[in-house]
Parts: sequence; C-alpha cells; structure tokens
Amino acid sequence: MTIFLASVGFGLVTSSVLAIAAIGFTLQFGVTDVLNLAYGAVMIAGAFLAYLLNSHGVNVWIALVVAVAACAGGSVLLNAGVYAPFQRRGTAPITMVIVSLGMTLIIEFGVQAIAGGTSVSYAMSNGPTVSAGGFTLTAAQFAVIGLSLLVMAGTHVLLRYTKLGKAMRATAANRTLARNCGIRAGRVIAATWAITGALCGLAGVVFAMDAGSFNATSTDLFLVLILAATFLGGPGQAYGAMLGAVIIGLSTEISAAYITPSYKYVIAFAALLIMLGVRPTGLLGKAA
Amino acid sequence: MKFTSLAAGRRRRARVLAAVVSVAAFAALTGCSSSSSTPASTPAVSTAAASAAASTSGAAGQPTGSPLTVADVAPFSGPDAALGPTYLASCYGATAAINAAGGVSGHPLTCKSVDTRGDPADAVPAVNQMFATTSNLALVIGCTSDEAAAVVPIINAHKMAMFCMTGQSEFDSVHFPYFYRLVPPDLEESYAMVAIAQQLHYTKIALAFGNDIGSQTFIQPAIASLKKAGITLTTDQTLDLNATTFRTEAEAIVQSHPDAIMTEALGSADPTLFAEIKQLNGGKMIPIIGTSAAISPPFFKAAAAAVGASTFTAGFRADNLVTETSGPAFQAFSAALLAQQGKVPGATGDFTTYLSAPGGVHLYDGINLAALAMVMSKSTDPSVYGPDMLTIGNGASGATICPSFASCVALLNAGKSIRYEGPGGPTSFDGYHDSTGIFQIDTYSANGAVNVVGNLTAAQLRAVAG
Repeated sequence: MTIFLASVGFGLVTSSVLAIAAIGFTLQFGVTDVLNLAYGAVMIAGAFLAYLLNSHGVNVWIALVVAVAACAGGSVLLNAGVYAPFQRRGTAPITMVIVSLGMTLIIEFGVQAIAGGTSVSYAMSNGPTVSAGGFTLTAAQFAVIGLSLLVMAGTHVLLRYTKLGKAMRATAANRTLARNCGIRAGRVIAATWAITGALCGLAGVVFAMDAGSFNATSTDLFLVLILAATFLGGPGQAYGAMLGAVIIGLSTEISAAYITPSYKYVIAFAALLIMLGVRPTGLLGKAA
Repeated sequence: MKFTSLAAGRRRRARVLAAVVSVAAFAALTGCSSSSSTPASTPAVSTAAASAAASTSGAAGQPTGSPLTVADVAPFSGPDAALGPTYLASCYGATAAINAAGGVSGHPLTCKSVDTRGDPADAVPAVNQMFATTSNLALVIGCTSDEAAAVVPIINAHKMAMFCMTGQSEFDSVHFPYFYRLVPPDLEESYAMVAIAQQLHYTKIALAFGNDIGSQTFIQPAIASLKKAGITLTTDQTLDLNATTFRTEAEAIVQSHPDAIMTEALGSADPTLFAEIKQLNGGKMIPIIGTSAAISPPFFKAAAAAVGASTFTAGFRADNLVTETSGPAFQAFSAALLAQQGKVPGATGDFTTYLSAPGGVHLYDGINLAALAMVMSKSTDPSVYGPDMLTIGNGASGATICPSFASCVALLNAGKSIRYEGPGGPTSFDGYHDSTGIFQIDTYSANGAVNVVGNLTAAQLRAVAG
C-alpha cells in the first residue's frame, strides 16, 4: 500500500508537469493548426534561460517568470518567422510537421552549442519534505502541483469567460467564419502563440525543477508523453489534455511500482494505442 | 473545452492527425532523440602550443613539418557528453607538451574531436567521415564502451592505432592489431567496487546502472562478485538515460534499505537519482560507490548541484586506476594539462579533476607512447610504429625509464633504449595490447578536488572475482 501511495504521489507530480505542457500544446494545435514538435525544444530553451539567470544568482522563481516571458515572445516569433509563412503558402500539414521537426533540431542543438552537452541543475531549495501515508513530496513539488492547478483553472476561465478565449474557440472551429464574424483571426493566433509559448516556458522550467538535472535533449522523451496526453484526451481538447496528463502520469509511475520501471512507458503507450483503437478521437473528443 | 464544433473539421483533423501522429512519435523517438541527428564531427582544433619546430629527421609517410592529427572519437553530446571533453583535455595537454619539445620528428600534433553521441548508430558514420576528411590522421583516442564494439573494427580495418577507453571484456580475448588499452576490463572495475564495499563493511548493496552499453557491462560481474563476497544484493535497478525522473527506482532502492548504492548512470541520470533518493530517504543520502567514470568535473558538478556538495561527497567513493600524484611524471603531466585550462571546448567544472580522471591520465600516456614510437620508428604509419609502442611501454632489458615525451625523446636521440613511465604508472601490454594497473579508492572534497583514500590490491580483487 505504501509503494502504491508513493507512486500515486510521484504520478501526481509527473502529471502536473505534463498537464502544463499538454494544455499549451493542445491549445496551440487546436487554434493554430500547427502540430509544433518544436514545443519540447522551446521548453528546454526556456529551462536553460532560467538556468543562465539562476547561475548568475537570480532566484529560480524569478528566472521562471523571465523564461515564461521569453518563451511567449519566442513562440510568437517562431510562428511569425517560420510557421506562418509556410501556412500562407498552403503548405500541407505533413510538411508543417517536418518543418517543426527541423525547428526542433535547430533549437535543441543551438542550445547545446551554447550551453554544452553536459547536465546542469538549478541552485534552489526544494523546501521541507512532507511525508504522509506513503506520499513523500517536497515543498517545491507541491508548488509545481499548485502551479498546474492554477494553469488548469486559468485555462478554464480564459476559454469560458473571456472575449479572447471565445475568439480562440471560434477561430479554432472555423477560421474563415470567425473572420467573417469580425474576429481578427491573425491577432487571435498571435495571442495564442504568446499564451501557449508562456505555458511552454513554464512547463520547461518546472520540468527542469522536477528532473533535478537536465541537458539540452532532456525533453525528447517528454515530448512523446505530451503527444500521448494530448491524443489520449482528444487533440484540441484542453480538458482532454488535463485528463490525458493525469492518466499518463499516474499510469507510468504506478506501473513502474509493480513491474520493472523499464516498462513504464510501454504500459502508458499500450494504453494509449488501445484507447485510440477503441475511440480514435480521444477520451473527450466527439465521435465523427 | 472543445474547439472544433464542426464535424467536418473534426474529421479532417482526425485524418491529418492519424497521418502525423506516427511521424511525430517516430520523429520524437528517433530524429529528436539524444543521439541521432547532429553533425558528427566538429572542426579540427589546433592545440594552443603547436610549435612546428624544424627537424631534419623526416618521418616516413608524412612530409616534414606537416601537422599530424590525434582524433578524439567519443561522446561530446548525449548522456555521456562529459567523456569527450575529458579526453580532449588530455589530448590538448599531451600534444602541447610534445609540440613544445619539437613535435614528432618535426611534425606538430593537433587534436580533432569526433562526436559519437555515445551511440553506435551515430558513431559509425562519424568515424567514416573522420577517415574521409582527415588525411593526416596519426592516432585515435577515446572509443568508449558506448561505441567501441561498432567503431574498433572500422578503425582497425583502416590500420589506424587507437587507445580506447572501453572496459568491454570482449577486447580481452579478441585480437585487433591496432587496438591498445590502458584501462581495465569492466568486470575488474566491478570487482573493485565490490572490494570497496567490503572494505567499508557494507553488507547490503543496491545496484543502479544506466541502460547504455558501457554501464550495463558492470552488472553481471558485480552481481557475481557480491555473491562471492557474501554481500546481499537488495535491488538491481536499470536507469533509462532518456528518462527524466527515477522516483520509482529511487523508492525501490530506499525501500530495500541498502548500506550503499553501486552505480554508473552518466548524464543527468545519476544526479537526478541522487536527488530523488535524498528526498525519499528523509533528506539523507545513501552512500554511493561509483566507477572511475564518476571521477570527472562535469559529474561532480551535476551531482553536487543535485544534492549539495557536502551531502554528495560525505558518502561517495569511486574506484580508479592508480595514478601518480607526485614525482617527475606527474609534474610533467600536471604542467602540460593545467596549461590548457580554459582552452578545451566543453570542459567544465574544476579543471584539476582531470589530473585524476582515467581518460585524462591514461590517454595522455597513450598519446606519449604513440608519439615516442613514431620518433623511434621514424614513421607515422601505425603498422610501423605500433610494435614500438609495446617496446617503449613494456621496456626492453636495460632500458632507461623516462617520465615525459621530452625526456624520452632526448634519450632516443642519444641512442638509448627507453621505457616510458607516465602519470598512469608502468605499462605492461599483454598479447591483446591490454595493460591494466591496480586500483585506488577516490573521494571528492566539497570543492571538487579528488582525494586518494586507499588502494585495492590484486589479492583483494581476486578474493571477490565472481
């Protein structure tokens, strides 16, 4: 029972980091129609920017804010400079995936060229450790879980109650119709890149905090988990991404507790494949 | 919250997704993975002190005065990225000292880094590219366990001498004429780790090794050795070097209540594991017994950052081959290496740690042995100078012992027979060109300095040999 509760605790932390990333990823994809595989690379770029500041004495939580802002700006530029020109030319979606893959390598190896290939860590305190009934989490991990809950709540408020959120939903549903209704789709898309870029930066720094030690390619496997959470919940579905993140995060950690940890990703992806076989549109996606 | 209210839009998107998800997953797993898509080699870099001192004793196979290249074939990126710069530091140090002493019969030496990314799939094209683009190649160093099995046959087929940093046991008994090794087989290092555990009176040991080739080779010898030593194996955890957390593995280790953990999982894996073990063990670190690969500045830097330098160093031990810490050989080595501080690409952390790093010491010796053999044989052709490395390393009867390239080459020029004994101690090559010494036990100070706290005799290793 103790190991089960412990693994549930670990799973919640993993789910929290994954949820922040997956919400940003699915929002980005849903509104902009770009399956941005460079998302993980932007995450690690944000993590390294925070590391650069942190290594010069800046508190990691302040560095996080800077990284969030930088990734928001960077994502807007990434779209304006790379993806939007391709989209304007009517580039096929599969080609856009290849473009984003190219951007992944450019960003990732650019970071590596600057920061080096070795692993780094933030100088930060994880705070006191709280243990209760098998759960063993640090204050920093509770903060990550709290941040994740804030992001989820903020996403709900944004999409449900704000003008921008409603415009994002309209643009996602039908960009041409949204334009005809007076929505400035271009601005909405730019705002989406900024918001999801900010979430990407946030995810990158909390990912690095959670990992403890990271390098330029650390998010490679994590990107696959983001994709899994996104598709499990239903692509374009913000709530689906949250649910998918919880399922993937918990299933990897709980399965690792009872079978060899080497199989934890196998279990998670087997579940994903079965789910997609039964319900191709994801848990919260409506059947076509 | 749903974004796509039109069924047609959903169907279109579902089709697109079905097409791209497989590409995306594949790309993320392969193209974006840590080891597949980088340019394989970096441009050649000249050592700072490259002096092209004129010499009239032209070497066969190379025009007089033209530079010769020593290629560092090792991971410069990926989980084992710390290894390449360690070897490059030794290359910079050795070649600068050789060049300052007039070079190899008038040929200055330069160093070139070839990034294998620690993956045979990347290493093979990188090595092929190296041979295609390096006309003046004289020696290869590096070739770690990550890629040795793939690249050693290729390098051997090109008849190029190599000093490899692999402990893989297959090289104990398979003869590659151009393969040389100054480090022990991994199984001996496994025995050394168990001997350390025995010396510290540990009775319960957990294993945590990375899933890379170089780390996996330790496990079976270690298990057999633990059994022979009467030490209980509490758990054996394999760490996926691409994973980002090891909480479950850490929990399993903590729950098994070991006295210490024997580990080698480079990159960010071990530091992450240490941090999670500390968290799950009530803020206390379990003592660590590492391999000689843990004696490197990047490893110390990452581990100390993960759990705190004092916490990490308090219970850390690592086996390492005995190396000189004083005397003329060490002084020459120390002066040569430390002169390169700040000049070696990718070298981070406390540069003095390289004075104890296995790659730093033994590849320095390997480069000196090769350079002296080139002088002795008056050839830069490995098929010609190779046998002289054995002569100079093992020493002929009546040979004069010399501790540096400069002192040895002076003796050679005087017509004397020599035996080179560098900072790695005496060399004794066997029929497979393996030469291994005895082990010492290293610790770190909180500032990253390496301390020698004990030695392991051959008898101690034999006693725990599984």
